[in-house]
Amino acid sequence: MQNAKDSFYVALRTRLVAINPERTILLRAAVRPGILVEEAEAPFAQLPTDVFVLRWLGLGVDQDLPSTMVAEECEVLYSTLGTQSFGGLDRGRALSEMDEELVAMLTPFWTPKLNYTATPPAAMLTSVFWEEPVFAPITPVRDRLSRTARVVVYSYQEAGE
Amino acid sequence: MSDTASRNPTWAAQMLADALLRTVAGTTATLRVAGTNTNTDQSQIGLVATTFAEVPVSPVVMRKLRPSWQEGGQSKWELLVSATGIQAQVNALDLASAESLFAMTLAVTVAGQDYLIESIAANEAVGQVYLYRLLVREAGLEAV
Repeated sequence: MQNAKDSFYVALRTRLVAINPERTILLRAAVRPGILVEEAEAPFAQLPTDVFVLRWLGLGVDQDLPSTMVAEECEVLYSTLGTQSFGGLDRGRALSEMDEELVAMLTPFWTPKLNYTATPPAAMLTSVFWEEPVFAPITPVRDRLSRTARVVVYSYQEAGE
Repeated sequence: MSDTASRNPTWAAQMLADALLRTVAGTTATLRVAGTNTNTDQSQIGLVATTFAEVPVSPVVMRKLRPSWQEGGQSKWELLVSATGIQAQVNALDLASAESLFAMTLAVTVAGQDYLIESIAANEAVGQVYLYRLLVREAGLEAV
């Protein structure tokens, strides 16, 4: 199931670079696309703004199938303060832009499953696929607008996983 | 943020802060900063260990904040760090600012204990920072 999580993140990151290459974050001394896996980074006192944060939550396993299917729930968190040049008054527009980017990143709803423990990453036999995102209402906290979206990501367990 | 008052900046506040930190048993803290990072797929998904650099700063003083115990809560501490110690490392690492150094810092080690930075504040006098106050909490033990 780790391969599915890795493939899902890398697919979204690759798509984000094509959708909005300007969305970046300086993290661990490197400029990266503005998306990260929370559990693979140092703990945040407060989540960074204007980037997508993937947080893995629920897990379900269906063994009544020829191949075991795993469903993992991914919460995508993002927030914005708007831009400095607008004094933050464009934070609603900035969040809408992130909403659209997330929908675009999640389309199409599948990606090949790769094993990233190999170098270069090795293609596996099955794909990773997911449902349409379920968006939560906006959470305004003072000057910060935040939203979360939940996506259930499915994959089949292959031999050796 | 600079002071617009018509006073010439001096290093008096920094020297006084350093002297006070040393007189209350000032010690050395080590900032664990991200070192050379190849920024590969593997490093972004927690598969390859990032290289770290240990950056010592001194003098520093730890003080425990007013206890407000909560079930499962962790103690919070305030780390008082000399601005001159930070500036020396900012210059040595060729960084733009102290904020850049703190942004790269994953953890602070004092007397063998790791702490995670919650927030950072700076005390200024005559437009110059003389002390950084880091709100930190104890990091959990990691598997070896």
